[in-house]
Amino acid sequence: MNNTTHFGFKDVATEDKQNLVKGVFDSVASKYDLMNDVLSFGAHRLWKRYTIASSNVKIGDKVLDIAGGTGDLAISFRKKVGESGHVILSDINAAMLGEGRKNLINKGVFGVDFVQLNAQCLPFADNSFDCVSIAFGLRNVTDKDQALSEMYRILKPGGCLLILEFSKTDSEFLKKFYDFYSFNVMPTLGEIIADDKESYQYLAESIRKHPDQETLKDMVLNAGFGFCEYHNLSGGIVALHKGIKV
Amino acid sequence: MQHFALEQALNYLIQTGEIDLKPLDNKTIRFSLQDLPLDVNFVCTNDRIFVISDTNRNSDVDISLGASVFFALFKGEDLTDLLRQDKIVIHGDVKTAQLLVDLLQTVDIDLEEVLSQYTGDIVAHKAGKIAKNFKKIAQKSSNPLDAIKDGLSALLITPTVSKLYKKDRH
Repeated sequence: MNNTTHFGFKDVATEDKQNLVKGVFDSVASKYDLMNDVLSFGAHRLWKRYTIASSNVKIGDKVLDIAGGTGDLAISFRKKVGESGHVILSDINAAMLGEGRKNLINKGVFGVDFVQLNAQCLPFADNSFDCVSIAFGLRNVTDKDQALSEMYRILKPGGCLLILEFSKTDSEFLKKFYDFYSFNVMPTLGEIIADDKESYQYLAESIRKHPDQETLKDMVLNAGFGFCEYHNLSGGIVALHKGIKV
Repeated sequence: MQHFALEQALNYLIQTGEIDLKPLDNKTIRFSLQDLPLDVNFVCTNDRIFVISDTNRNSDVDISLGASVFFALFKGEDLTDLLRQDKIVIHGDVKTAQLLVDLLQTVDIDLEEVLSQYTGDIVAHKAGKIAKNFKKIAQKSSNPLDAIKDGLSALLITPTVSKLYKKDRH
């Protein structure tokens, strides 16, 4: 691995990135859901709903949600797998996991396990999950290839990986609007609502540094997945990559 | 979007026990339409079906046919008759192809919709038909509200399939 990696537009020592990302999410955890609603105009709920619908998860399945944060996906997966299924909500960040636990209790959702973990070394046996999801989390992972290999390892043959992440739009108009919005409006809203401009500046920068759709697709295939397809959502601002282990 | 609707319908039928996927377990069947830039791969695994357009992997069975034959097949035309008339070319196990065709013929979904994006139908017409498909699923679902929400969400965020789905295939 290189000795440096990116943290937004900055180059930082590889071993420092994890702590820097931790700092961002420690800071935004309590306002995370509110900020997502405000910044995406509620669209993140639709993106996540599409992800769940695409998962083909069914009763009795075992599902791992990585970087699950406040638990939006885990709540929906829990309903899909039923009493005989098993859902694990995981996050590297204790503050986010705490928010997730609070959120699930407030919504009366029980039977979800919580695990604090690093996506690069998943503490689970080979071939043990029917579905692994990661929504808006992969871009914060330091070694994405390592994380994808781990996700591949723990999925059963026929298991499905879902990566929901900000991506690249082909539309010139949308690109200009999106650039203005993310580098001007988002940090300002972050300052007003969450009293944290820097974290939302990082969000905008980290999106630009994240691999585009085709690159990420190749990364998923290189990790060992037999099939990978992506669907652009909202003009490519977000993409859902779906990998199938064969 | 169209693949999404087809995949949802198939997996719904698997979950409700209306179709049995075991004979097709671990099979990948590819449909290639000769007159349209459309490949659809049915990946049958882990007791579910994934409908994928983008793959460089070899399939177990390749079914090549014209769009009109595709429609005829799913309106109940006999696969063997179409094979005899040389309207379909199958590379691989014909029995596996027959099993998938039998399965697809049980799906109450508008297959015209699956092709409409390649044949130039207007957007409103497409949206209406997709909505109709979800309505059908919703009527059968144990939780119709969730099914309608899923369909509505999919329409609002306008998912589009990978553009380079034929990359490296030829």
